[in-house]
Amino acid sequence: MCTRVCNPEVHLTGPFKTHTSTLIAKEWSNELNMSEGDDLFDSIFLADERYRGEGYREGFERGRSRGLQEGRRHGASHGAKLSCEISFYHGFAVTWKCLLQNSTDVKSRKRLKAVESLLALFQSCSYDDPESVSLQDNVEKLRAKFRQVCSMLNVPADFKDYIKTSQGTSF
Amino acid sequence: MKGSASLSLLHRFSAHPDSRCWFVSWNSSGTLLASCGGDKVIRVWGREGDSWVCKNVLEDSHQRTVRKVAWSPCSNYLASASFDATTCIWKKKIEGFESLTVLEGHENEVKCVSWAPSGNLLATCSRDKSVWIWEVDEEDEYECVTVLNSHTQDVKHVVWHPTQELLASASYDNNICLYREEDDDWECQVTLEGHSSTVWSLSFDASGHRLASCSDDRTVKIWQEFPRDQAGTGESSWKCVCTLSGFHGRTVYDVDWCKVTGALATACGDDTVRVFKEDESSDPDQPIFSMVAQATKAHSQDVNCAAWNPKEAGLLATCSDEGDIAIWKFKEE
Repeated sequence: MCTRVCNPEVHLTGPFKTHTSTLIAKEWSNELNMSEGDDLFDSIFLADERYRGEGYREGFERGRSRGLQEGRRHGASHGAKLSCEISFYHGFAVTWKCLLQNSTDVKSRKRLKAVESLLALFQSCSYDDPESVSLQDNVEKLRAKFRQVCSMLNVPADFKDYIKTSQGTSF
Repeated sequence: MKGSASLSLLHRFSAHPDSRCWFVSWNSSGTLLASCGGDKVIRVWGREGDSWVCKNVLEDSHQRTVRKVAWSPCSNYLASASFDATTCIWKKKIEGFESLTVLEGHENEVKCVSWAPSGNLLATCSRDKSVWIWEVDEEDEYECVTVLNSHTQDVKHVVWHPTQELLASASYDNNICLYREEDDDWECQVTLEGHSSTVWSLSFDASGHRLASCSDDRTVKIWQEFPRDQAGTGESSWKCVCTLSGFHGRTVYDVDWCKVTGALATACGDDTVRVFKEDESSDPDQPIFSMVAQATKAHSQDVNCAAWNPKEAGLLATCSDEGDIAIWKFKEE
């Protein structure tokens, strides 16, 4: 119908780009000033497409910021739970090592060896990279070792406040 | 059915009345049969003349169903796995059995217990998805040496290799895992995938080169060990060399490989007990197994377990949801 169809940028020149809140009024006043009737209809016909594009970009930005916030909150909450669980194991192991290291009887030596193998897992693996493919495996290994050590120490492994909360964590 | 063989009933007796009989286990000399059931009780049976009598009742130790029992290789100890999350170790005395220790640690139902051939290691598995290995010392003290989390679901069965310290486990995740100790630590070395539903039980043959597995997918699979590759690196591999399908009408709950005759017995949810044998003419790497005998309506409900007597060729014990134990004679002509 008209040549403008092929050249939509023309509608984005001048004041339109600057302030979205005043966009509509300015557009209309500007377009109404146009002398040619075709231009007036063009802008009406193209308005839908133009607003859709701008709305999309605006929405996209808003979504991105909300997604970032939610992702950060989710990550922080799960990271905190996991770290709390892992640090509990670490503290548990360090404490038992202190308690056992001066005993010389066979049973204590065996227990100490188990505690040390639990401690070794903190040296050999890292638990702070959420994108690591081995994180799940490493955490499972740690949990298994913790349960074995608890069994050897004759300590019931039901530290619900520390362990149960993060056991539902999926990666 | 191929060949001429028969499976005839010798005895049938109520072992766990008004309850399920979950499992039976022969001692190593084949003179005593232990059974366990939903009545939380373990009974030990012995043959007297022409009948089977209850020699001992082991009770008041478990709070819930006793799912499996296992004799130690020396037959002086009996281990029982229960849904109450514990495993009991019983010591055989002149007069009856004494509860020696209770192994705790599993989060929920213990499904199976098995002694290693040396008698120094014990494996347990549970609905908590883990397999535990316990070490026994001279003072009858048990300590957990490892917790293995290789399965993603309920672990149904554990069994040791007949001669090596190699452990196999079967799970609701449809897989079988094989574990060995490497550098002072136990780890899953091979996962056998092939069944399309829960693997209920496992049995090694006498040599340990083959493993039979049975499943909710109504098949039995035979897995064979192939030695390390020529370079000598890597683990030996296990491959499925035979699948017995089309024989079982429902879930196959148990499989047992006779160490004396090489026959394979299955316990099935269609109330039938079946016996299979390898065709002697078939290629050892592609064996063919044929059903040589079966007892339909062997029990009035699901058959839960089939166990060959370790010494007397062809003597088979089975047990069922209806609470009975049946003793069969398998004969090849």
